[in-house]
Amino acid sequence: MRRGAIVALIVIALIVAAITTGIAYFVDWLPEQASEERQGIDLLFWVTVAICIFVFAVVAAVSIYAGVTFRVRPDDESDGPPIHGHTGIEIVWTAVPTILVTVIAVLSAVVLAQNDDPKGTPLRVDVLAQQYAWQFTYPEQGGIKATNLYLPIDRSTKLILNARDVLHSFWVPEFGQKQDAVPGIVTTLVITPTKTGEYRLICTELCGLGHALMRTRAIVLSQADFAAWTQKQAQGGGQAGGGGGEVDAKGIFTANCAACHTLTKAGTSGTVGPNLDGLSLGPADVEEQIRKGGGGMPPFEGQLSDAEIKALVQYLTGSNG
Amino acid sequence: MSETTTAHPHAPQHESHEPPRRRHWLLAAGWPRAFWMTGFFFLLGMGIVVGLRALGGSGYDPALDWEVVIVVGALTMAPLGFLSGIGAFDYWVSYALGRPTQPEDHSSHGAYSWKDYFRVNTDHKVIGIQYVTTTIFFFLAGGLLALLVRAELARPETNYVDTQTYNELFTVHASLMIFLFIIPAFAGLANYVVPLMLGAPDMAFPRLNALSFWLLPIAGIMLLSSFFFPGVGAGWTNYAPLSVDQPFGNVFFSMAVQWAGASSIMTALNFLVTIITMRAPGMTFWRMPLLVWANFTTSLLVVIATPFIAASQFFVMFDRVMHTNFFDPTGAGYVLGYQHIFWFYSHPAVYIMMLPGFGIVSEVISTFSRKPIFGYRLMALSLMAILVLGFSVWAHHMFVSGMAPYLRVPMMVTTLLIAIPTGIKVFSWLATLWEGKLHFSAPMLWALGFVTMFVIGGLSGVMLGAVPIDIHVSDTYFIVAHIHYVLLGGSLFTIFAGIYYWFPKMTGRMYNERLAKLHFWLTLVAFNATFFPMHLIGIQGMPRRVATYEPQFADWNLFISISSFVLGASFMIFVYNMIVSWKSGPPAPGNPWRGMTIEWLVSSPPPVFNFDEVPQVVGSPYEYGVKGARHAILNGDRAAGLEPVRAP
Repeated sequence: MRRGAIVALIVIALIVAAITTGIAYFVDWLPEQASEERQGIDLLFWVTVAICIFVFAVVAAVSIYAGVTFRVRPDDESDGPPIHGHTGIEIVWTAVPTILVTVIAVLSAVVLAQNDDPKGTPLRVDVLAQQYAWQFTYPEQGGIKATNLYLPIDRSTKLILNARDVLHSFWVPEFGQKQDAVPGIVTTLVITPTKTGEYRLICTELCGLGHALMRTRAIVLSQADFAAWTQKQAQGGGQAGGGGGEVDAKGIFTANCAACHTLTKAGTSGTVGPNLDGLSLGPADVEEQIRKGGGGMPPFEGQLSDAEIKALVQYLTGSNG
Repeated sequence: MSETTTAHPHAPQHESHEPPRRRHWLLAAGWPRAFWMTGFFFLLGMGIVVGLRALGGSGYDPALDWEVVIVVGALTMAPLGFLSGIGAFDYWVSYALGRPTQPEDHSSHGAYSWKDYFRVNTDHKVIGIQYVTTTIFFFLAGGLLALLVRAELARPETNYVDTQTYNELFTVHASLMIFLFIIPAFAGLANYVVPLMLGAPDMAFPRLNALSFWLLPIAGIMLLSSFFFPGVGAGWTNYAPLSVDQPFGNVFFSMAVQWAGASSIMTALNFLVTIITMRAPGMTFWRMPLLVWANFTTSLLVVIATPFIAASQFFVMFDRVMHTNFFDPTGAGYVLGYQHIFWFYSHPAVYIMMLPGFGIVSEVISTFSRKPIFGYRLMALSLMAILVLGFSVWAHHMFVSGMAPYLRVPMMVTTLLIAIPTGIKVFSWLATLWEGKLHFSAPMLWALGFVTMFVIGGLSGVMLGAVPIDIHVSDTYFIVAHIHYVLLGGSLFTIFAGIYYWFPKMTGRMYNERLAKLHFWLTLVAFNATFFPMHLIGIQGMPRRVATYEPQFADWNLFISISSFVLGASFMIFVYNMIVSWKSGPPAPGNPWRGMTIEWLVSSPPPVFNFDEVPQVVGSPYEYGVKGARHAILNGDRAAGLEPVRAP
């Protein structure tokens, strides 16, 4: 190969690499980073992107240079030189990709092992996914339940996931971790939040008509706020269970029913199930429907406490039944 | 010029023997008989179901269960009736019934007029064209569904269709593109080209070949008619238990996959036997063109893997119709079992959709670079390596599925290893360009477009192979971007390369080069504008398979939707070019590209039995630049003149 060709190839490769690096650098690719696990994922992501840029630059340089230099007029009927192969160069382009994928594989295995492994004693949260709502239970905090995922900062949380009906998948983009919830088996996921705030918690496995709206929030609190929250919930939950306390019916509705039902006063717009603005059923029928489900709607008995169901019925029908 | 190259491209040269007796038009093989036999077989299936249920007594109430009637009558018996009526089984039935053997008169071979493309035809060239045109029809249908999906996604809220319809749109889009376009389109191109490249008069089993084709329209119509029976809305992956919970129409998917799968398996067996037993004298394995190698490995993948998807869909249907519990955890079923079985087919299926394209690109790049393919043996061995490794990576689709965690790293390692033989192929194509005499005709543009787009898809594939990255982007638009770079920028581009490359051979006419180039550039730009931004919105947090999404992704989605409409429009140029050129393009010479493989040694289109004498293979298929080198010889000197040679 001529020296000029090598120089030209290198120049083109550098230009392509500069452009692709610019796209990688100036576009805001990754969502905000809010967990320790994301740190490993992001590192791996950028290492892999760098390798990809290298490979793409080489391919682009050869294609562009060949396309410009070796192009002939349509009426040129000559043939190229009969080069059948070159053992040395074939060994190189077998060996170099082998090394590159080995780097990716080793780094991936290390990051994966780290991300699977909770730091210290993890907080346990049981996650139950069902069409089309999330429920989080804190067994170590007296079994309090929530429809948003509350997490303390800087402490590993181990999610124990299960699904009631079909496959669902737990994902918070800012945490980077994802895990399917599978009916019949238990799966786990480790998350160590590093930043307080509210994040999107979305279902990423197609789970039916309400899939797109099967969303809630992951809320990361400071350790003190989290302790306060659990305490408040433990008391509130006890009261609600006893049947006397204040229950936030609108909150229950938006967390459990919004994916499917439109209700103007709750500000929801789901279209999977009937629009509840013109609800004409009596309180007893509404309660029956919520408890037993039917017509495509899952049963909420056991999901919601008696007090919560009562509150919901009153909220929907304006009557105590 | 002999009559073989005039108006009726595949007309037999033999005098056609009159069949012993003419049947009444309702009883003769053809569309009228197909029509009434379809209905008759449906009623037969219905009768069996209702009769047996009535006999079964009170346990089977009601006797007329429409769901079972549809599965047995409409989706199983009616297609068999159609196939019997159109004549796909005639020979075998008369053989089985012990009727007197009729001497083969080749009356089902070749095409006299356009009508001969609409009957059971045993000529591999007619079948190849039947395949390609049918699959392009389903490609356009699938594309239209994709545009409806994009129309819905142009704005974040629900716009035009309800959620069930939306789910069915993307499910049927993917199913049509995979099972009714990419896989059979490659089978169609190979059907036309492989026997010619081998120097064979036809495929090994021409009647089986015809049957394979006629299964396809059945599968396609089943998928399209599923819109009248809601339920094909669980994604093309049809994951249990959601698929079992879908409305009843889901059985249309389960059965369509069976018909399409049966077609694939029969074609693959046909290719294997043809390639192993029907090579011309001198055609050793190491002298086979890479397209033949590619179809050899693809066929091995098909026969080994396809039964697994057949099983997975039968299980889903049995869970619904017969109340078995393969995937129902409350009945001791195992949900992840579905995914393991499904991906044990569907990962190799990715290579079923890729390797034939590798073959096409190898032919095109070598011919238009006027150079031997670089590292021929390593290219063939890479195909075999991909074949073997392809069976050991299926669980990389399941990194977040909840399968045993220790499976992840081994599956990641095998996945990344596939990058090595794939890389060898890409670098060898580039090396073939080096110091060649490059002609940028349409097939070459598509082939080079494929190489660059496929490199992008391959690199995002390497990112997905790395487990922690995969965990983050699983089930997001990053996956949608990756799959379209591999299957649209990859497979589809190679299909276009193949169609433009062999269009003169198939039709005897040249296409419009200017329109073909316009088609390429418009598709290339619109394709990247449509799919590259999907990487970004996927990483940012937009899940796939949703009709509504967060407003933060609205701008990109609008841009993507507009680009996708340009992409859709670009294919209209292709359709126009194909139709007009086929009708009135300038006549094509036997060898417009100065190729060396055997299909270029005969006229365009070839004589009805391909060769009037058996070709003698004397060397490797890509000896460009070697003075006086030949791949094969047809009747000594006359081969050089490429005149069609009359049958003795």
